[in-house]
Amino acid sequence: MLDIFWMDGPTLVGMSTHRRLLSLAFCITIALAASACSGDDGDSITLYSGRGAGLIQPIIDRFEDESGINVNVKYGNTADLALLISEESAAGRIEADVYLSQSPGAMGFLDDDLAQLPPATLDLVAPTTRDDDGRWVGISGRQRVLVYNSDAVDPADLPDSVFDLVDERWRGQVGVAGGNGSFQDFVTAMRFTEGEDVTAKWLNDLESIDPVAYPNNNSIVAAVGRGEVEVGLVNHYYNYRALAEDPGVASVNHLFVAGDPGGTLIVTAAAIIDGTDKADFANEFITFLLSPEGQQYFAEETFEYPLVPGTPTAGNVPEIEFDDVGSLDLDELEGGLARTRELIADAGLES
Amino acid sequence: MSDLGAVRAATAAGADSNASRPVSKRSAVPGPSAFVGLAIGAVFAVPAVYVAAQVVTLNTPFAKTLEEIQGPLWRTLQLAALVSATAALIGTLLAWVTVRTDLPFRKAWRVALVLPLVLPSFVGAGAFIAGVTPGGIIHETLLALGFTPPRRFRGLGASWLVLSAFTYPYVMLPVSARLTSLRTSVEESARMLGCSARQAFVRVVLPEIRPAILAGALLVFLYTLSEFGAVQLLGYDTLTRVIFATRQADRAVSFAAAAALLVLATLVVIAERRFRGRAVPDQRPAGAQRPAELGWRKLPATLACAAVLTAGLIIPVTSLLLWAVRGIRDGAIAFGDLVEPTVNTAGVALVTAVITVIVILPIATETTRRPGPIPAVAAAAVLGGFAIPGLVIALALAVIALNASGVGWLYQSLVLLILGYVVHFGSQALASAEQAVRAVPVRVREQARLLEPVAIRRATQIDVPLMRPGLVAGGGLVMLATLKELPVTLLLAPIGFSTLATEIWGGFTEGFYAETGVASLLLIAVSASLTWLLVLRPTIRS
Repeated sequence: MLDIFWMDGPTLVGMSTHRRLLSLAFCITIALAASACSGDDGDSITLYSGRGAGLIQPIIDRFEDESGINVNVKYGNTADLALLISEESAAGRIEADVYLSQSPGAMGFLDDDLAQLPPATLDLVAPTTRDDDGRWVGISGRQRVLVYNSDAVDPADLPDSVFDLVDERWRGQVGVAGGNGSFQDFVTAMRFTEGEDVTAKWLNDLESIDPVAYPNNNSIVAAVGRGEVEVGLVNHYYNYRALAEDPGVASVNHLFVAGDPGGTLIVTAAAIIDGTDKADFANEFITFLLSPEGQQYFAEETFEYPLVPGTPTAGNVPEIEFDDVGSLDLDELEGGLARTRELIADAGLES
Repeated sequence: MSDLGAVRAATAAGADSNASRPVSKRSAVPGPSAFVGLAIGAVFAVPAVYVAAQVVTLNTPFAKTLEEIQGPLWRTLQLAALVSATAALIGTLLAWVTVRTDLPFRKAWRVALVLPLVLPSFVGAGAFIAGVTPGGIIHETLLALGFTPPRRFRGLGASWLVLSAFTYPYVMLPVSARLTSLRTSVEESARMLGCSARQAFVRVVLPEIRPAILAGALLVFLYTLSEFGAVQLLGYDTLTRVIFATRQADRAVSFAAAAALLVLATLVVIAERRFRGRAVPDQRPAGAQRPAELGWRKLPATLACAAVLTAGLIIPVTSLLLWAVRGIRDGAIAFGDLVEPTVNTAGVALVTAVITVIVILPIATETTRRPGPIPAVAAAAVLGGFAIPGLVIALALAVIALNASGVGWLYQSLVLLILGYVVHFGSQALASAEQAVRAVPVRVREQARLLEPVAIRRATQIDVPLMRPGLVAGGGLVMLATLKELPVTLLLAPIGFSTLATEIWGGFTEGFYAETGVASLLLIAVSASLTWLLVLRPTIRS
């Protein structure tokens, strides 16, 4: 039956199916072209989002309803979209008005391609969770935690500090995503709070206990949940998502003690692209994400930490004091990313 | 008209015993059509040229780069060699068992055994891992049976197994087709002259199916070179990881790694062309085939088919079903949201398949009828498009559309998206387009030229009908690849244009597994029904 794949030799066939296929393809081309040409009537902005539709589209829908501004979204990987924006800016073609990134690292990569945000927008959040040059603002926060498998690990064994994690007890049992943006931001934060040498030593020590590499936080949480590794270094909210999908899962978050670099707060960030003629609408969108409604959405629907002071977290997410979450300066975090990657690669943890 | 019909009928009846006389003397001099092929090849070479230009302008430090990519390069080579050899073996055996033997339900097997091709590799691998690690159905079953399976499933062995299970159809399809059209009488004569069954296969059948095996294995090799999503999940560190990890911070290394992939691909393409040789295939029609009797081997053969299908389809689909059912039970799935991505997916895949076949045909014609250095270069350019990751192709096309004068309108348009697909997947249509061209024997073309002076009518009356099975097959493979494509779609699609693959990815990366499961199952359904409706059914009916 499948002989027609790669079939050799002459076969007699009528033309009718062939022609029908061609005309079908033609109709589809027209339909696709028509659908691609629609839009951009009236007030609209274009958003490049490094955060997935599942997390962010509901709050975008609400913004569209309330503001009457249409938001066209291009979803993609945070780093890929940053590359695309930098190529667009280099060519003098501004396609995106707003960029949402999963971590401040990608914002540092774009830097000159980002516009100055209005002070009123920046002032909505604490100074520690925005860019000192005013080019990006934090939208929501994720705390670094140690996720563990409650069937395999006695909670009493869990380390208070990330420095105690590099111990024989955890040999071959730590899930790490060395190529992931949040892990890199956490290492950068450690460099600034603990210094270069301590960080390099910790990375080397971690490597020496044979950690297991994963592509991202999410796959670590899944691996810990099924007992593939006992613990993993991740952002806190992935486990809440895992619980929402499957309440029976064995993965549990463990917080390091207050002030430990292992518990760094990683923010997601928003910026306006330099050169856009829709800066006002773009700012309106970012302000909406930082409004009580927007912040409450991130707290309750995505289990993240709201960054505007006074917004409560979701019921099962523990409250944290921002000052307790490593005193990192996000600005230095940007510039240091290349050096961070080098340290991670030198320790052999990059993949 | 009726004369032309007679020519076709004569061909079909096998009267043309001299069907594939080697190409005429004109082959030495490249005609104008060679340059048409070369021009098309140039479009396919765009990403490669971009990569080379970046390596030069970024002034990549050679020594440092070499040091950085050495390990990954060696691992990439190991994996690609293992996977393509395994896929060649499995694909050939399955093709032989399902075409040439009296295996029970062999037609059903032939359809089912193609399906592992339809899942995007990252979700296929993710679902596979979920199935074989603790909590997964396979792991729990083995535990219940008293085995203690490993908790982890990663590294070279795991990548080898998963990629082989997903790619063997690239070999099985062309080999099945070749076996179907190959007469059994020669084999039987060999047996009568005293060859054992094995000797007959090695001496008589293998030389005939060797080009098909090599063409399929080449696709598998190139696929493995550019593979990223699956090996990353499986914790195996290859060159694509270097390309991705350094794409922001150290672009020089990133492009150098991509260039290394291209060099590797070129070497392999050259090697394959050498090995394939210039042997003239036996093109006489197959006639009635007598299946080999398996006897007691029916059971092991069936078990082997089942094992391969379990690895390639049943394990991942079981996980996907589990995720989907969990989501549907919780009411977390909005099916309405999947209508538009489904229509988009099917639409672009069909358009891409048709355009790819049209674009590849001139090159295939040249490589088959007038082989020489120019067509070889064009063909290599087409094959190279499959060896570099979709992300690199997408970036190359984006940068050119943004900066070259006069083509700015292409940016973020469906035209550029489809161009990206064509460049990435043209290789999958090449081998079957070459088969299609060979299906029009020289003598038939000569007779047609005498009987019908109008070239265009010769094309529609003789060439297209005879080539159609090969072209539809090539288009079918391109369609299947486009249906599941991700990185090119994410970067080049117009704003707001989503496909099933982008939905699957969005759910998978953020941990919305229910959505991933439903969208993946939908993708399998769409791929299977399109293949049936457009590729299988029309041919069977006629």
